[in-house]
Amino acid sequence: MNAFTIGARSIGRNKRRTAATVGAMAFAGFFCIFYGALIEGMVKALERNALRMELGALQIHHPGYREDPDLYKRIEDTDAIVAALDAKGYGVSARWFGGGLVAGKTTSSGAQLRGIDPEREAGVTVVGSHVQAGAWISAEAPQGVVLGKRLAKTLRLGVGDEVVVLSSAADGSMANALYTVRGVLGPINEAVDRGGVFMTQQAFLELFVLDGGAHEIAVALPDGATLEGAKAEVAQLAGGAETLTWKELQPTLADMLEMSAAGQFIMMIVVYLAIAMVVLNAMLMSVFERIREFGVMKALGVTPRQVATVVFVEATAQATVASVIAVLVAWPVSKYFQTNGIDLTAFVQDVSVMGVAMDPVWYASPTVSNLVVSVVVLVIVTLVSALYPGVKAAIIRPVEAIHHR
Amino acid sequence: MKRLLMIALICALPASASADETKKDRVSRLIEHVDDLWRGRSSEGVFEMRVVTKHYTRTMRMQSYSLGKDYSLVRILAPMKEKGTTTLKSNDDIYTYLPKTDRTIRLTSGMMMGSWMGSHFTNDDLVKESRLLDDYDAKLTFEGERGGESLLEITLTPKPDAAVVWGKIVLTLDAKTELPKSQVYYDEDMQVQRTMTLSDVAKMGGRTIPTRMRMVPADKPKEMTELVYEKMRFDTGLGESFFSISKLRRR
Repeated sequence: MNAFTIGARSIGRNKRRTAATVGAMAFAGFFCIFYGALIEGMVKALERNALRMELGALQIHHPGYREDPDLYKRIEDTDAIVAALDAKGYGVSARWFGGGLVAGKTTSSGAQLRGIDPEREAGVTVVGSHVQAGAWISAEAPQGVVLGKRLAKTLRLGVGDEVVVLSSAADGSMANALYTVRGVLGPINEAVDRGGVFMTQQAFLELFVLDGGAHEIAVALPDGATLEGAKAEVAQLAGGAETLTWKELQPTLADMLEMSAAGQFIMMIVVYLAIAMVVLNAMLMSVFERIREFGVMKALGVTPRQVATVVFVEATAQATVASVIAVLVAWPVSKYFQTNGIDLTAFVQDVSVMGVAMDPVWYASPTVSNLVVSVVVLVIVTLVSALYPGVKAAIIRPVEAIHHR
Repeated sequence: MKRLLMIALICALPASASADETKKDRVSRLIEHVDDLWRGRSSEGVFEMRVVTKHYTRTMRMQSYSLGKDYSLVRILAPMKEKGTTTLKSNDDIYTYLPKTDRTIRLTSGMMMGSWMGSHFTNDDLVKESRLLDDYDAKLTFEGERGGESLLEITLTPKPDAAVVWGKIVLTLDAKTELPKSQVYYDEDMQVQRTMTLSDVAKMGGRTIPTRMRMVPADKPKEMTELVYEKMRFDTGLGESFFSISKLRRR
């Protein structure tokens, strides 16, 4: 009789114990897969929010612009770069920035004026869909500007109010123009909330007496493109301009996201340690319950190695079944929460992490790699947990064991 | 902008008490002379301002009014696009009236170091010119021949507690005519920051004055702002009410 047959029979003999063990293992597997998907979802949401609110995956600047932003440090061939990236399937948005003074009826405040093409910007960021009151800027209404949340509050301005913008134009003249507040944004990020004034590219160029040549080109990646691969391609198209990934632009944010991933890893270890205890307990119980049985086996001449194999076979078989159950349950559940987020609006309203506004709806993001890792780790943990009971059964003394009560 | 120079000179008035009495009188007299030369009780003038920077060159015609050291008003006559844009200095405040948007804006402290009308003058220059008097001590530091010209040099050093941007300002005057020739601004590390040269002495409004002022920043020698006076009238009898904020709009 070989170890496999014996193992299979012992599993079948005590169905309740087997079910409990398999259940514990399956739950562990389920938890890891689902929890992993949730964490992944949060990290991705943070990344997406940072990228989709303002950053874009890549940005092109005049070399030196970031160090010392200056109205004159503009990207040559902006139109050519935008057209080339567009042709390659990237989302591209040219942006213009200028500092200025914004005045309402009674108060004024420093602000960052941002000129964009709303249609193009929509291909890179979703900032336009975060208008809290009124409407987003539109090429049809170049005199309408959209203010950051806190700036509007500071200036005591609402939709429909007049706002005067004052700055120095590129030709040295005093740039000044009267606009109408078309909309007020919800929370975006610190800089936009406090001082962002969005206007159309057309209005910006007119105000600052510029003739094209953007300060920044934000790039969104097509589906499936890798950040590094895209960077190489974009950098080549951008010529002499500086191309940087969002990770290079916002290293603290990138670090924080990596920390979340590390946090997930630590959580996984804790969960698996707990599961290891459960598995160890179940395996030990099943060995102790069968001490007499093992004693008899050994008395009949079964070698210690074969006895250990029996225990391992049992463990492996149970882990396999548990893994299948875990995957079958966790994957659809994760998938469900991928499309139907967990709504946290009841608990929190404006969440912002590192100056990046967070969506209060939490979506899962199941990945195959997370699934595979969870299953492999589950099996390994089970086998390691079976080590002690297996050795215990193998070295049992037949005479004592047979008399064990 | 002529005020800039002239007030710099006035500041020599309260020269330190410890200074040699005759020297002090001399400096005071020089300053008074130059002050009277430039200001009168009130003045009206027309000048052209040419600004050359790496990024743009522009020429504007402006009309200026002043009353004492507390009030001045400069209005753009040309180009058309900016016509009517007015800067009013009333004591320590600067207001800008923008006809395009029909708004008067009081410059915030954050904008004081910004360029005035795209030139190499800052808004702060407009305010500080009248405060040099309080902020600096003046001393005659050179008298004699230099480069074939006989010159006088007056050095202005900030008083210990004065909140000013310059480390010192050095004025050079023609010893014979006692007309200013140059004004050099140093930073706190005593490096030259910018130089104003005054030339083209001519008779205008009954006075003999330098009619051309050129400001060159030391770090950008190819850039400059130049003011050339076309007309000057003195003691025209302008009243304080002329310089009120409410009147900015109506003109």
